[in-house]
Amino acid sequence: MTVRPVAIVGGVTTKFGVRPSTWAELCQEVGAALFREIPELRAEDVDSLFVGAAEPERFAFQSHMAPFAAEQMGLRPYRILQRTELACASGQSAIRSAYAAIAAGLSDVAVAVGVEKMNLPSMAEANAAMACVMDRAWDGPAGATAPPFFAMVAQRHMLEYGTTEEQLAAVSEKNHRFANTNPAAQFYEKTFPRDKLLRLPVIAPPLRLGDCSSMTDGAAAVVLAADDRVPRYTPTPAWIRGTGQYSDFHNLANAGSLTEWVGLKRAAREALGRAGIPVDQLDVAELHDCFTISEIVEYEALGLCPPGQGGPFAADGRGDRGGDLLVNPRGGLLGCGHPLGATGIAQAVEVYRQFARTVPAARQAPDPEWALVHNLSGSANVHSVMVYQAGRAS
Amino acid sequence: MTTETRPRRPSTLAPPSEAVPPPPPPPRKAEPRPFLLDFVPLEGESDTRLARFFQRLREGQLATTRCPRDGALLWPPRVVCPTCHTEELAWVDLPSRGRIYAFSAVLAGAPLGMEADVPFAVGLVDLEGVPLRLFGRIEGRPWNALAVGMEVRVEPYDVGDGRFFYRFRAPE
Repeated sequence: MTVRPVAIVGGVTTKFGVRPSTWAELCQEVGAALFREIPELRAEDVDSLFVGAAEPERFAFQSHMAPFAAEQMGLRPYRILQRTELACASGQSAIRSAYAAIAAGLSDVAVAVGVEKMNLPSMAEANAAMACVMDRAWDGPAGATAPPFFAMVAQRHMLEYGTTEEQLAAVSEKNHRFANTNPAAQFYEKTFPRDKLLRLPVIAPPLRLGDCSSMTDGAAAVVLAADDRVPRYTPTPAWIRGTGQYSDFHNLANAGSLTEWVGLKRAAREALGRAGIPVDQLDVAELHDCFTISEIVEYEALGLCPPGQGGPFAADGRGDRGGDLLVNPRGGLLGCGHPLGATGIAQAVEVYRQFARTVPAARQAPDPEWALVHNLSGSANVHSVMVYQAGRAS
Repeated sequence: MTTETRPRRPSTLAPPSEAVPPPPPPPRKAEPRPFLLDFVPLEGESDTRLARFFQRLREGQLATTRCPRDGALLWPPRVVCPTCHTEELAWVDLPSRGRIYAFSAVLAGAPLGMEADVPFAVGLVDLEGVPLRLFGRIEGRPWNALAVGMEVRVEPYDVGDGRFFYRFRAPE
């Protein structure tokens, strides 16, 4: 079977935060921004639309999201129109599906859009939506949501490896600092020095407020194109060179080790293997820092440091500018906020902009060629990885 | 984008008349609704083939299904073995004691119906003598008096609306 090269040829995000806007309004806003960003793009070019949306049934009381989103954006897809739902990885799932469709020759130009409206008048209602990501009937009755689960990961990591609250805070400080270079970030122009982070209220011990990504409204969209269409839209495409995904459990009872994310190891091995590069060839990475402990465990699972050494890796700035690998330069989920469906797409937008060298100098990777994007979803029971290469339009 | 405020147009509507006020709405019929509908499974024989699980809980016993072919304990209880796909699963009672493997607590951000419980502790508990690590609420002590390795017991409880579920209880 022929597999055609596919690239991201541009993308945008809305402002992330607590937005006085509905799901539909965020979707309209990101559609308009996309057409402004890529003036060569015409609505009739877009043959397919993939919509990343995690919980609109509860957050927005709306299903049948794909045609709903198409109408908001002014698109009339005539080949593939579908929603992709993979909780916190719904956005990357939209990109992966668009990639697969184009690579297989079923689409030539596709939009992947992600939208989430999470801030509701009742936060308990919003937290209930989040709890449904877990096994609602069996883990839900105890009150399982993301913070206590990742708190247990942190507790075990501290117990097994001596990881400290200060090392967790180092991740949060870095990502919030980068968010100050990103006006679209929820925490733009908000400073979080480490001593302040260590005084914030505890949400789920040992995790404090600054260890947790927030409930965020936002949208992001990218355009993907087949190799022969790429030159119409950009001289600096981000070519998709590898993807990988792995899931081995859903109910919390069936999780293996909390501190060794086997699923990420396997997904990364698959994606890097398809791209044909070792991890140390990466120039920039967008890792799913839904909690500070996540980024630490991800350093280890990607093989950037030995098992258990993610805490010192963070504290020593090895995931920072001038370190081993620039991680989460747009500000991560911690700094940008985490509108579930939009996050994976906003990460891809950052990769495109890093390759195009259009991000502020304070977060620009020097001469980047390779990038990795990772999303986990649920209780880190699914890991999704994509590898991108900078290049010229062929 | 313009930031000008639009001038208010004078209202052309007639002032409200001195009409008879509308009749009060009829009293709403109370609809008894389980307060944790979203977070507790349907438990009856007409709802689920796993009704036996809830029946055993009412009798004070945590149970689950086991595949008779390879002996694997399956959690949550199921109607089909995920390995060999037999539907002939056996019910087996589970130990009533275990030790905390990991725990945390919800100090903020509780889901709907659980706001009044905050703060509450949750954890993963290794059941004694079987390869099962179950997640659940941990009662009996404040979260900051719990410890990894602490022994807890399984406690079936009445959810409060006629349904049953399980939780763990640490020594007081």
